[in-house]
Amino acid sequence: MLDIIFFSGVVLYFISMSLTFSSVVFKWEKVRKISWVLFLAGAAVSTAYLVARSVKAGRLPLSNQFEFGASFSWGIAVMLMILHYKFKADWIDTVGIAMTFLILSYAAFQPRQINELMPALRSYWFGSHIGSAAFSYASFMLAGGAGIRIIMTEKKNPEDPRLEQMDYFMYRLIAFGLLMLTITILTGAIWAEQAWSAFWTWDPKEVWALITWIIYAIFLHLRLTKKRQRTFLAWYAIVSVPVVLFTFVGVNTLMSGLHSYGMIFRKELL
Amino acid sequence: MKKTMAFLRSMKFGIILLGLIVVLSVIGSVIPQNSEAMVYVRAYPDFYEWIFRLQLNDIFNAWYFNIVTILLCINLILCSIVRFTKIPSQKQEEERAMHAKTAVSLSAAQRQEVIAELERMHCHKTEKDGVSVYAKNRIGYYGTFLTHLGILLTVIFWAAAMKLPTVIDRTCYPEESIFLDDGTEIYVRDFSITDAEGKLDYKSQIEIALADGRTSGPVETSVNHPASFGNYKVYQQTYGTAPRVAVSDDAGHTDLFYLEPNDILSADGKNGIVFDNLYPDFTEEDGHMRLVTSTSGRYENPVYVFTTLENGQQQEVMLAFPGDCMEIGKFTFCFQDPVEYPGLRIKHSPGWVNIALLCAFMVMTLGLYITFFMQSVLVRADHEGYTLLSAKSEGLQIRFRQITGGGSEHA
Repeated sequence: MLDIIFFSGVVLYFISMSLTFSSVVFKWEKVRKISWVLFLAGAAVSTAYLVARSVKAGRLPLSNQFEFGASFSWGIAVMLMILHYKFKADWIDTVGIAMTFLILSYAAFQPRQINELMPALRSYWFGSHIGSAAFSYASFMLAGGAGIRIIMTEKKNPEDPRLEQMDYFMYRLIAFGLLMLTITILTGAIWAEQAWSAFWTWDPKEVWALITWIIYAIFLHLRLTKKRQRTFLAWYAIVSVPVVLFTFVGVNTLMSGLHSYGMIFRKELL
Repeated sequence: MKKTMAFLRSMKFGIILLGLIVVLSVIGSVIPQNSEAMVYVRAYPDFYEWIFRLQLNDIFNAWYFNIVTILLCINLILCSIVRFTKIPSQKQEEERAMHAKTAVSLSAAQRQEVIAELERMHCHKTEKDGVSVYAKNRIGYYGTFLTHLGILLTVIFWAAAMKLPTVIDRTCYPEESIFLDDGTEIYVRDFSITDAEGKLDYKSQIEIALADGRTSGPVETSVNHPASFGNYKVYQQTYGTAPRVAVSDDAGHTDLFYLEPNDILSADGKNGIVFDNLYPDFTEEDGHMRLVTSTSGRYENPVYVFTTLENGQQQEVMLAFPGDCMEIGKFTFCFQDPVEYPGLRIKHSPGWVNIALLCAFMVMTLGLYITFFMQSVLVRADHEGYTLLSAKSEGLQIRFRQITGGGSEHA
C-alpha cells in the first residue's frame, strides 16, 4: 500500500512536469494551471506517504538515501508552494516541479524497505540535523532553478521587470539554505561529539558539507561586491547545484566514511 | 603597512582563503587521509612520493592548511572589528535620515501606500520638520559582525576542541576495570547489546572513580549517550565477543579464562588445548557441518574450534559448544557461553572547551539569522516621496515598487 502511495506521487509529479513544460512551449495558460493543481496533488500524496511511513517506522523518514531523497523532494515542494503563494513567485514553478520530480525519481531507485534505526542514529539530533539538511539542499536547488530562469529571461528580454525579483529570491534562497546548512553542520558537530567523541573528524560527508557551505558563503560575498552582475551570479547558483548533489549522492556512493549509514553495516560504529 | 592591513581585512582576501580551503578539502576528500603508507604506494604508484612530500595524506593537519586557517582568523578578526566600528548609533541614523535627499518621488496616493506598508511592518516612527523616519530591527546592524565573530570563535574553539582532549580506546571484560595513568579507575559492571524488547542497543554499566577519591556511582554509557564525570567522558564505542573456558583440577579448584586465537591452556606445556577460534553459528548439509563466519555481530550458536594437546603432540581439530566439557590429563575444560564486552572510548578534556564552542555555534547561527532575516529598516518619507537608507533593503525596495508601480527615481 505504501508503495502505491509513493508511486502515485511520482506519477502525479511526472504528469505535472510534462504539462508545465508543454504549457511553457505552447503557451497554454490553462494547462499551466492544471499542471500546478496536479503538482499540489503530488505534494499532498507525498506528504501522506511520508506521514504514513513515519507512523509505520515510528520515526522521521530520514535514515537512508531513499528516505532522505523523498524528504528532500518534499522540501523542494514545500518551498515551491511558499514561493508560489506567499511571494507570488510563480516564475519558478516549472523548474521547481521538475526538480521535485527528479529528486523523487532518484529516491524511487533506492531500496525502500523500512529498517530499524541503528543505535548510532537514535539521537535527539536526528530530526534537526538531517531535516535541516533536506531544507538546505532544497533551497540551494531552487536557487539554481532561479538561476536558470534568470539566464532564460535575460536572453529573451533583459528588461523584464521580474528579473529583479528573480535575482532577489535567488539570493534569499541561498541565504536561507546557508542558514539551514549551518544548523546542519553545527547540530551534526554536537551529535558527533556525543556519538564519536569529536566535533569534527574530516569525514568525506563533513568535508563536502563544509565545501558546500563555503561555496554559498562565497556567493553571498560576491553578491555584495558584484551586485549588478546578475548573470554571473545566476551561473554561479546553477554551477553550485552539482556540488549539492555530490554532497547528497556522490559522497555516499563514491566515498566511504562515518556517514555511510544504510549502505553497509559497520560493526565498529555500532 | 596600511595597504597590507587593508588587504588582510578585505573581502577579496577572505574569498581567496575560502577558495583555498575548498581546493584543499576536495583533495583531502579524494586522497584517503591518515592511512598506512602502503595504501598510497599501491593506490598511487606514480606519485605517492609527492603525496608524502606535500603531506597530502594528512592534509588537514599540514602546515599550509594551518597557515590558511590562521590567515582566515586574522581576516575574520579584522572584519569583525571593521564591522563593529561601522555600526551606527540611533542618533547618527536619525540625523542621516533627516538630512538625506528624496530618492523616489511619489504621488500623494503612492506615498500613502508606502506609509501604510511601513506601518503594517510595525516600524518605529520619528517625525521632525515634516519628515518622517521609519526604523525597524536596529539589531540588524549587528548581524554581519556577529556572523564573523561567531565564525572566528567557532574556528578557534573548534581547534581547541580538536587539540586539547586526550582520547584513548580500551576494551574491558565485564566485572573488570580500566586503570588510567592519572589513577582514575573505570569499572565495567555489565554490558549488553540488546534492550528489553530485543532491539540492538549497546549499553555498559560503569563506575568512574577519579584519582581524588570521587566516584560517579553506577552510571550507564550507551551510543549517543556518553557517561560524564569530572573531566572524563566515557563513550560506548565498539564491542566484541570473548570465548571463555572454565578449567578445573582434581581438587575442585576452577579458573575462568578468556581466550584469544592460538592461546594454549596447559599446566605442563604438554597436555591441554590449543584454542583456534570461536565461530558465531553453523549449518548442517548432508551430515556435514559448516561453520558460519557471519559478521552480523551476533553469536546465535557459538562453536569453539580447538585442538587437544597430548604429550606435547597436537591432535586433530575438535569442535565444542557451550556447556561441553572434556578431560585432558588432570584437568577438565568446560566451554562456557561466550561473553560480550565493550570497547570504550575515554575522553579527558577541560570542560570549558565544549561550552565555549557551543556558545560560538550559537553566536554564528544567531549572526546569520540576524544578517538575513532581521535586516534593519530605515526609511525617510516626506511630502515628495521616500528614501531607503538601510544598506540591505532590497526586498523592501521591490515591495515598494510593487505597491506603487515604481515612482520616479532620482540618480
